Amino acid sequence: MKGEGEILVVHRLLDEQILDSEGKRCGRVDDIELKGSPPRVTALLVGEGLYPRRLPKRLRGMARKLARPELWGSNALRVPWEKVDRIDATLHLCCKAEELGLGEGDDPERWMVRRLPWN
Amino acid sequence: MRSILRIALGIIAALGGFLDIGDIVFTTQAGALYRYDLLWAVALGTVGIAVYAEMCGRVAAVTGRPVFDVIRMRMGFGLGLVALVASTFVNVLTVAAELGGLAIVLQLLFDAEFSLFVVLAAIGLVIVVALLPFGGIERVFGYCGLLMLVFLATAIHQAPDWGEVAHGFVPSLSDSKLYLYFVVGVFAAALMPYEVHFYSSGAVEEGWDESNLRENRLNAIVGYALGGILACTLVVVSGFLFHPVGVDPTDLGTAALPAQGAFGETGLLLALGGILFCVGGAAIDSSFSASYNLAQFLGWEWGRYRGPKKAPRFTVSWLLFLFLAMLIVLTGINPVEITEYSVVLAVVALPLTYFPILMIAGDRSFMGKHANGRISTTLGWVYFAVIVMLAIFAIPLLLMTNGGGG
Repeated sequence: MKGEGEILVVHRLLDEQILDSEGKRCGRVDDIELKGSPPRVTALLVGEGLYPRRLPKRLRGMARKLARPELWGSNALRVPWEKVDRIDATLHLCCKAEELGLGEGDDPERWMVRRLPWN
Repeated sequence: MRSILRIALGIIAALGGFLDIGDIVFTTQAGALYRYDLLWAVALGTVGIAVYAEMCGRVAAVTGRPVFDVIRMRMGFGLGLVALVASTFVNVLTVAAELGGLAIVLQLLFDAEFSLFVVLAAIGLVIVVALLPFGGIERVFGYCGLLMLVFLATAIHQAPDWGEVAHGFVPSLSDSKLYLYFVVGVFAAALMPYEVHFYSSGAVEEGWDESNLRENRLNAIVGYALGGILACTLVVVSGFLFHPVGVDPTDLGTAALPAQGAFGETGLLLALGGILFCVGGAAIDSSFSASYNLAQFLGWEWGRYRGPKKAPRFTVSWLLFLFLAMLIVLTGINPVEITEYSVVLAVVALPLTYFPILMIAGDRSFMGKHANGRISTTLGWVYFAVIVMLAIFAIPLLLMTNGGGG
């Protein structure tokens, strides 16, 4: 599945696991950008900044206060639809996660794991 | 020959993942209080876990999706988050219970301060996980957990009235709240959700695909059946020894006594060793499950097979969950009580785990020709109905019976 065609957006796209071109798990489809009429999927939106808007209305305000506010390019990322390579059992991108800023939380430099005894 | 060996290993791993402190505590108490009357609930729970584990393994092999991946997909973010919070709470409580169980057994074997053994047990688990690959961890604990066979030997040695034992497999209900509490407990201890979280993630860790489906079915059916037989054995030996004299086995050490009665010091050591490895394996399974779930829900990289450098958030969260569980045990709450709470609260989290699995395992757009057939669909829905019913009654029963205290 690529480019043109119909897709069951909620059934097959929303909340899907994203793998980059090297098979690295780099986030889930937390929201979807639709544009035009009839609407077309133009981008996948990924990042923890989007979590509050996935909650029921009454909880959103509280969740925004607890988490950092939505910040595009940092905790909310846009993955253009063109970067989607194919969707089979999971969603595969055609580029590496780093190029889009995805999966930075799994950068070992950010963690102490380098010093763990089994490394 | 090699495939036979591999299947044997898988069965042993499934067996090791089945018996844990929850089973040991609930079956031993059930035997002491109601003799063989609750054997049917053990058997019912065993068939249930086999049905769902087979489904989870099949989904993982065909689609590469473990349980929480499926939960996020099918239930969305909001409801999925509820499932995540509930499962994490229960999983950490379970890790605490297993760590406490490890410390009790170590204390019985080596006689020193309880809290020292809690810390040593946690450090020991970190070392084991650091040194062994995923398959190695499963096998070490699975093989050594076979020491539990001493309870089967004990049952045969005791020579109970087998007709009476067989009668225990006929379902019976009573209006005693304590009896119903134990029905829920024994059933739920067999169906603990971390078992399927771990089983399906393990299938992905070991790179399963469609060629592993036969192995999956054998593991689930034979492995859990053997686990169920051992759980039944615990009821029988406890019922034979403790019921007539009215002993209430409130600590884990009592569970090992029937083996001592039958085979003396050797029997006691074998039983304690078996409990040690079963509980240790379960501590690893449940702590891994907590971080598998978190990572899968949020889309992080995960897995022992990736190594800590490639999956740092997974590794760090695992260490944090283990640490948190250690703190819970160190507060001094009796591990047997933690166990009872973790098992009964797990019942409430069960429907949230099993519903999405049932949905996706039956979905031909994901599973193709490997979607649930007539038997899996029927059994799956029957068990789902039972689970929902138990989830409704679990908390009231826990409160009304004062946590099984009567």
